[in-house]
Amino acid sequence: MEKINATRLEELKAEILDSRKDQKTCITVCGGTGCHAYGCLQIADAFRDEVKRQKLKATVDVRTTGCHGFCERGPITVIQPDGIFYQRVKLEDVAEVVTETIRNKKIIDRLLYIDPRTGKKIIKEKEVPFYKKQKRIIFGNNGFIDPTDIEDYIALDGYKALAKVLFDMTADEVIAEVKDSGLRGRGGAGFLAGLKWEICRNVSSDVKYIICNADEGDPGAYMDRSLLEGNPHSVIEGMIIGAYAIGASEGYIYVRMEYPLAVKNITLALEQAREMGFLGDSILGSEFSFDIHVFKGAGAFVSGEETSMMASIEGRRAFPRQRPPFPAQEGLWGKPTNINNVETWANIPLILNKGADWYSHIGTRKSKGTKIFSLVGKINNTGLVEVPMGISLREIIYEIGGGIKDGKKFKAVQTGGPSGGCIPADMLDLTIDFDTLTKAGSMMGSGGMIVMDEDTCMVDVARYFLEFTQEESCGKCVPCRVGTRQLVEILTRITKGRGEERDIQKLQDLAKTIKAGSLCGLGQTAPNPVLTTLRYFENEYEAHINQKSCPALVCKDLIIYHIDPKKCVGCLLCLKNCPVDAISGERKQVHVIDQDLCIKCGACLDVCPPKVSAVVRYTGKKKERVLKNVQSKRAKK
Amino acid sequence: MKVIIDGKKLEADGHKTILETARESDIFIPSLCDHPQLLPFGGCRLCIVEIKGRKGLVPSCSTYPEEGMEVKTDSANLRRMRKQILGLILSEHPDACLICSEKENCDEYKSTIRKVGEVTGCVLCPNNGRCELQDVVEAIQIDKIDFPSVYRDYEVRRDDPFFDRNYNLCILCGRCVRVCHEIRGASTVTFVFRGSHAVVGTVLDRPLQEVGCQFCGACVDVCPTGALTERAIKYEPLPDDQAKTICPLCSMGCELDVMLNKGRILSTRPSKEGAVNLGQACVKGRFAIKDTVYSSQRILKPMIRRRKELEEVSWDEALDFVAQRLKSYKGKEIGLIQSPQISCEGNFLVERFAREVVKSQNVDFSTGISPLEAFYETAHKDKVKPRFNFKREEISEADVILLAGLNLAVSHPILWLEVLKAVRKGTKLIMVSPDEPLGGRHTTVCLRVKPGSEASLFNYLSKRLLKDEQADGRVLEGQEFFTTDLAKLTAAKVVESTGIDENTLNYAARLLSEGKSCFIFGMGLIQDSRIEQNLAALWNLALLNKGRIIPLGLETNSRGLFEIKRKSGQKTKPFDQIVQEVKGGQIKALYLFGPVPGNKKLKTEFLVVQDSYLNKMSERADAVFPAATFAESDGMFVNVEGRMQSFHRVIEPLGDAKPDWWIVSQLALRWGKKDFLYKKSSDILRELKKAIPAFSKVSTSAQKGGLPRFIQESDKEKEKFMPLKYQERTELTSKTYPFLLGSEYNLDYYRSLILSDEIKGFEIIRNPRWFKLNPKDAKRLDLEDGDEVEVVSPVGKIKGIIRNTDSVPEGMVRSCLFWIEEPSSSPLLPVKIKRGK
Repeated sequence: MEKINATRLEELKAEILDSRKDQKTCITVCGGTGCHAYGCLQIADAFRDEVKRQKLKATVDVRTTGCHGFCERGPITVIQPDGIFYQRVKLEDVAEVVTETIRNKKIIDRLLYIDPRTGKKIIKEKEVPFYKKQKRIIFGNNGFIDPTDIEDYIALDGYKALAKVLFDMTADEVIAEVKDSGLRGRGGAGFLAGLKWEICRNVSSDVKYIICNADEGDPGAYMDRSLLEGNPHSVIEGMIIGAYAIGASEGYIYVRMEYPLAVKNITLALEQAREMGFLGDSILGSEFSFDIHVFKGAGAFVSGEETSMMASIEGRRAFPRQRPPFPAQEGLWGKPTNINNVETWANIPLILNKGADWYSHIGTRKSKGTKIFSLVGKINNTGLVEVPMGISLREIIYEIGGGIKDGKKFKAVQTGGPSGGCIPADMLDLTIDFDTLTKAGSMMGSGGMIVMDEDTCMVDVARYFLEFTQEESCGKCVPCRVGTRQLVEILTRITKGRGEERDIQKLQDLAKTIKAGSLCGLGQTAPNPVLTTLRYFENEYEAHINQKSCPALVCKDLIIYHIDPKKCVGCLLCLKNCPVDAISGERKQVHVIDQDLCIKCGACLDVCPPKVSAVVRYTGKKKERVLKNVQSKRAKK
Repeated sequence: MKVIIDGKKLEADGHKTILETARESDIFIPSLCDHPQLLPFGGCRLCIVEIKGRKGLVPSCSTYPEEGMEVKTDSANLRRMRKQILGLILSEHPDACLICSEKENCDEYKSTIRKVGEVTGCVLCPNNGRCELQDVVEAIQIDKIDFPSVYRDYEVRRDDPFFDRNYNLCILCGRCVRVCHEIRGASTVTFVFRGSHAVVGTVLDRPLQEVGCQFCGACVDVCPTGALTERAIKYEPLPDDQAKTICPLCSMGCELDVMLNKGRILSTRPSKEGAVNLGQACVKGRFAIKDTVYSSQRILKPMIRRRKELEEVSWDEALDFVAQRLKSYKGKEIGLIQSPQISCEGNFLVERFAREVVKSQNVDFSTGISPLEAFYETAHKDKVKPRFNFKREEISEADVILLAGLNLAVSHPILWLEVLKAVRKGTKLIMVSPDEPLGGRHTTVCLRVKPGSEASLFNYLSKRLLKDEQADGRVLEGQEFFTTDLAKLTAAKVVESTGIDENTLNYAARLLSEGKSCFIFGMGLIQDSRIEQNLAALWNLALLNKGRIIPLGLETNSRGLFEIKRKSGQKTKPFDQIVQEVKGGQIKALYLFGPVPGNKKLKTEFLVVQDSYLNKMSERADAVFPAATFAESDGMFVNVEGRMQSFHRVIEPLGDAKPDWWIVSQLALRWGKKDFLYKKSSDILRELKKAIPAFSKVSTSAQKGGLPRFIQESDKEKEKFMPLKYQERTELTSKTYPFLLGSEYNLDYYRSLILSDEIKGFEIIRNPRWFKLNPKDAKRLDLEDGDEVEVVSPVGKIKGIIRNTDSVPEGMVRSCLFWIEEPSSSPLLPVKIKRGK
């Protein structure tokens, strides 16, 4: 590849577009992690072979692109320029798609997405309700770009913002633009990005660093991963612009080793950018020099904390340290350092291309732009969604997410990952931005969104998240290391029916100590799941503690499985599936579960035909009554 | 700047944390992880305070004051928080005794000492009574713990020498990890695992002795709980008294605090106020002192030989006997061997005794291989006057340090800390040695020369510097011939002789040219016949580079003895000649104060041994005088820097042992020499000051505050190049003797006591019977760790066991102390290795 300068960049873009003008049709196969798991690479290869076989290569292009977001429906294939959206495409479908849709311009009905609410088939990607409510300014290009080909990025105005910045703007102007845009850091705390840059710029030092925080560690969150995998150059361009504004000469991308595709794509992208002169000495022929290294983390959750990330890059254990000094004053190797999250960096080229004014019109008064959420849990449309700040939870969950699975009732949504909190059903109309979420006791975090239905026990959820933070605590400070362990102990005790009256008070006291006493953000936010579930679902805690009952019928020690003699048809299904032979009975006779043998695995409930639904779970008083009955029956015998 | 802490207006500076500032004004803030020698950590969170205008609580240990800051160290909220945090700590620490309401009078009911392996409460903990956690519990007044206790059930690690590690007691303050990393540069322990499994451990959970631990004990000293405890004091009572002494086990002269109980030494700790060691010690000062003093090999009574047997007698009898026998010899028939491990006063008196009483010139000390002596001799011949004094701090002020011919981290661990301090702030470190020295990873470049090629390496570096030098017009005496001489030295030749590639050599030269340099050398440069060549080359290099050159002696008082001999102006015979005359029969009576290399072969008519420990010579002696150790006497040592340090009696002498000076003085009285009558050692010091002006600045109260006292020397070094003194390189090894045996120089003995003979831990970490061999050589010879071997040289043979290590280059065998056992004019010997039985 040639090294280019700013004028050549424009020409190059024109050349790329020109070279592709004959290829009117483009089959794009989503190459995101979700679709990878479905085997999208083989499908893309099959498309290539088929196109070749049918001698369409001159006019039809096949590309493996970044993540389209709608992971629930993968592997996804979109045929451009019409935007025909085929979902759950199989290898056997490939030949048909090429013959029918490409050659004969016919839509294949069975590959279309059906709107579960209206039952209507939808042809075009942008008409799919999942996408309709989204505002995909960051994520949208993923579907058009082959992340391994820098030309795709350039064709979509890639590095144009960089050229503009390097030749038409001073560092101060760049910072002013970012400040004016109102962009807040997407990593969790939501600090104003422009202000953060300015602080770092104003510290005088011979060497400065910038870091891209790609140590995404929340369970169920993968938007940073998808950006690095799907559109790595947008992150790189953002970083170069940031480096120019701050005056940094070196940058790091701290990405976890568990993201092999992200590591591969970003490394390749850096190589290509370097070859073309977007990185290295005198970028695009300007006086500015800068380069980026990829640093692979070992996957500790705490490494996402700024100071421990720097410790990790320096080769030490990822321990956070007390601030001040802030990274902007004393960061990596003691030099001023600016750290931003992947998504924040990806916003930068956009802001500079389209202007702060355009950007600040998106979102709410204090939270500008869009936010990518990873929508997971008991939701119909699992995937990555990009929405403008200020959208309501209801819109995300019901309109984009397609509502709760299996027609169940929505109970709560955990935002912000394990450090966030649970928001209950009566707050569904909450418009989300940084501040409203914090006010609700949760947080934006990096954008995890875990939807829970009526079958979720909130005490159990709190215990799950606390177990996670407890294990991921670095072990440095006492409140976090021992405090979270004690929280888990108490929560486990409650879910096992050994809760004590004072436990709620104890949880609250301890949570307060951990929040106020911990060294870093991990500990300071770790009790949030406990505090929010206590705030919104205290009755569930009380039920566990006082009545020894689990209203959601989840906590094994508090429930029993029972076969309703009035409903059981004696089909032997549950009996055969019971792993511990706890069920007795004959064909056409009522089956009975031996409570002493039952391990509460729920296999019987799963296999009992819905028409019959004889297997039921009981907790609390009802459970006691059933147990008593069983005992008295046994005594009679 | 002004800050307000708890309403008190205080003066603060920006370099001290809020915690330090508060403590200086006697405002108490509880804390467990903070330590004055270590960087702020902020882990225990007990030192949290409130700062007006700042959100949340801040740890005072890692927050620095700002102008006008208002700090509150106590409030209901802080008390509640501290109680809860301490409760969390205690939930993982055996706490029954800590919160027991009867803890005050527990001892009355306790009928026995601890006899359990697992600690479940303070009464069973070796740290009971000196535990910082106990103090904090007392201060925070916690009487109930709100959390279920968790016993982490770690196996107590007893597989290493000197101390046990019981991580069930650990509160993860990280002090051990930090001191090992920040101060000792060893990083042998670290945090392992995450979350509630986090614990202090070693790489792959290996024993400390396998991960490079030098057992300096710094971790034990900083541990606030009983997690790390010195094994020797585990079952001992608490000290009832404390005293200071100077460690005699190397030439640093570290100040130690001696813990005493009923007049008996319990253990020693590095003194926090020690000007030399700044609160640090090494394995010897920390763990070897007690056993050295109370060794089973101590000589406790004067003995004389009657009817072929040594018999215990009174002092008078012994002194009379020796005086009477010595009087029967002429002066030149009497030899006296001094010891660099006894005080200046003792050595001064021995010298006077030789001169004035028995009228002999045969007085010298045994370790003829002293870098000080060798450097002085070499320089003296060329009328160059080097300086010997330096201050520890000067080392860390250098921009580049070159260490040659020594394994500083082992031989002078405390000086090594100063080098590390320098490296941490960016100083470049060059090491020159055939071996890979300990701490090699801290070096910028390690020049592993072939043994004996050091001189050509130094000369080549000089040549490069001359070439690259920006002419500053400074031409020194001797520069012309130096320059012409160097012209003959080609890179190819040097690469061949040193075995180091040209790029690395040039890189080292470039490092040297970048700033203030300091050259430190030790025994490695003076262990073959090319001593003068090596030292001249190094001197010239240092001179050319305008750097400091520091020779490091090994023995406690080697500098003191060196000064006494150098400045007394008396003509005495050198050691080698004395040995020759003993062998030749000219010297018939020998009076020994210290060990003599190859002592087995010295035979005389009459032999007096004055020592603290039984040894091979004392077995054959006609009279044996029990000398008191440093702990039982007063005196002065001059350390490697030239610092004069007095030490004082800590315990009563064991048995009938007496200070060396007392014995010599009493003996002299037998000749009627009234001027040898001294009441105390300070009387001798006064005389020493008069006789040798270099000592004039010392006063007996030198240690009681005031400025440090150094040996007086003329400040002006004579700046002049020495001739290169090319000496032909003779190949020492041959087909019959293919290996080169070299010594490792650690002062692992005190007078005649070899530490590993008395202290098991020393045998584990530095066994003098080890022959260290490169694994490749070992494989060729089919030898494994622990195999018994016989190492045979043209002059004799020694037995030992094989120890594989990469630090030794191929073709070499390293052993420590072998020269004590075996006579040799050159400590580099060609040898062959045979499998032993």
